[in-house]
Amino acid sequence: MDMILLLELALNGVFVGLMYALLSAGIVLIYKTSGIANLAQGALAMMGAYTVVVLANSFGLSMWVAIPLALAVMFAFGVALERVALRRMIGQPVIMVIMLTIGLEIFLRGVIPGFFGAAVKRLDLGISNAPIFVGELLLNRAILIGGGVSLGLILLSILFFNSRFGIIMRAVSDNQTASWSVGIRVERAIAVAWGLSACMATTSGVLWGATQGVDWSLSLLLIKALAIAILGGLDSIVGVLIAGIIVGLAESLATGILDPIVGGGTRDVVASAIILLTLLFRPHGLFGREHIERV
Amino acid sequence: MALLSVNSVEVVYDQVSLAVKGASLEVPQAGLVALLGANGAGKSTILKSISGLLAPERGAVTRGTITFEGEDILALDPPTRVRRGIVHVLEGRKVFEHLTPLENLLAATTMYSDRARIDEMAEQMFELFPRLKTRAKAKAGYLSGGEQQMLAIARALMTRPKLLMMDEPSLGLAPLLVDEIFDIITRINREEGVAVLLVEQNAVAALDVVQHAYLIEQGRIVMSGPAEVLRENPDIKEAYLGSGAVAVDYHAVKHYRRRKRWLA
Repeated sequence: MDMILLLELALNGVFVGLMYALLSAGIVLIYKTSGIANLAQGALAMMGAYTVVVLANSFGLSMWVAIPLALAVMFAFGVALERVALRRMIGQPVIMVIMLTIGLEIFLRGVIPGFFGAAVKRLDLGISNAPIFVGELLLNRAILIGGGVSLGLILLSILFFNSRFGIIMRAVSDNQTASWSVGIRVERAIAVAWGLSACMATTSGVLWGATQGVDWSLSLLLIKALAIAILGGLDSIVGVLIAGIIVGLAESLATGILDPIVGGGTRDVVASAIILLTLLFRPHGLFGREHIERV
Repeated sequence: MALLSVNSVEVVYDQVSLAVKGASLEVPQAGLVALLGANGAGKSTILKSISGLLAPERGAVTRGTITFEGEDILALDPPTRVRRGIVHVLEGRKVFEHLTPLENLLAATTMYSDRARIDEMAEQMFELFPRLKTRAKAKAGYLSGGEQQMLAIARALMTRPKLLMMDEPSLGLAPLLVDEIFDIITRINREEGVAVLLVEQNAVAALDVVQHAYLIEQGRIVMSGPAEVLRENPDIKEAYLGSGAVAVDYHAVKHYRRRKRWLA
């Protein structure tokens, strides 16, 4: 196999991985504040992309109006979701929360295309389809831009977690009772985390929608996002960044190298294999928070 | 008028188990009051009913009132009570383990927006507890027990409380550290005028610093009075201070227990 192709696969893989990582950053954000693994993140991405398409097509808004508007709508949706559904789960067994978020994922996957049409919709961000040539390398423009935007947002969320509001969110995830005892409004912090996470999902949905069109299959991103979140350690944004690149690379190289041998379809196996291997060999991921125990 | 008054409060856990059976107590402005008693007597439960932290443990106040500065606070949620000036240092420290000491302090300032003022307050805390400053970069979970207790107190003080409630600050600390912590508590009380309600099993240390104390047994307040008076009470001496009957001759001990002079 020639080096150029390999390099091309690797580079595209890195950027695709960054785009996946944006979705997992949302999962991590919620996990870090409330200790809940949100399995409805894929459906939120799909819903966000649908919202943009509906606003743009039905109301004739330009993309630059529709996207901020959709972000606002999805923020409100995230907050409402926490208020109506998740807050009732406080004090309930973990399995209830897992079932609830899976249920939400399945529900949204069915309902949103049901209302707004299951056919693939075009989401045009005005990025041309012409590839970028770097020397002999061919790079996909939409993925390059998507990866760049994702990287920017992930770095921004790292900064966010070191701001005062970020410190408060980390305090909430550390110990909720102690947070109440020093006057932190725990419920509000968690609601904001859900809102922000829904916004990140929307951005992710829009970026993917621009490359593959908008339909229910956007919610399948959940598996990749989950693989990255688990590999990165569920509560580390830096972990997500690195795990994202690893998963993207692995997927892209597997497609390029293994597909011709086994006859295709390896792309979707990689993420599942990574989830499995991580859970077997390093259950707390690469950068998971260690459990502090003083002796 | 008392700063805090708890009137015939009953607390029930899980809607069945009665943990506090009609307790009443008062903390005056800038007072230093102790609540003494054995394990499971209901001391922590009383503190939680004041700070509002019963709910996460499925407890509830079913009878009685709690007023702070003359206002009933039972209907308020815990963060609002903190904003009124009541802060609760939980038993076993409960610092934010994955945050640094400075971040621990900053997390307790949600009610303030003036960043310069917050930094100044944090700096004051580091002056009050110089040990914390030397560990500023470490995660709080790795601090020693004494340092964690200091951090927990400092974190509580960041909210600018009028009433500081402390649950077993001496728990698991070496005697020298216990002295240091109690020194700090008296200093905060005297210099800043912060009222303190102290829950302790270590009655010797507590009765040395407080002005007034309540004794609680099986959910009832069975005795109260100025610290000097309680210190001299023969029952307290025997049951809590360990200095009652002089030189027991174990040869002659019969198997009955000395009757207490109160009914629990």
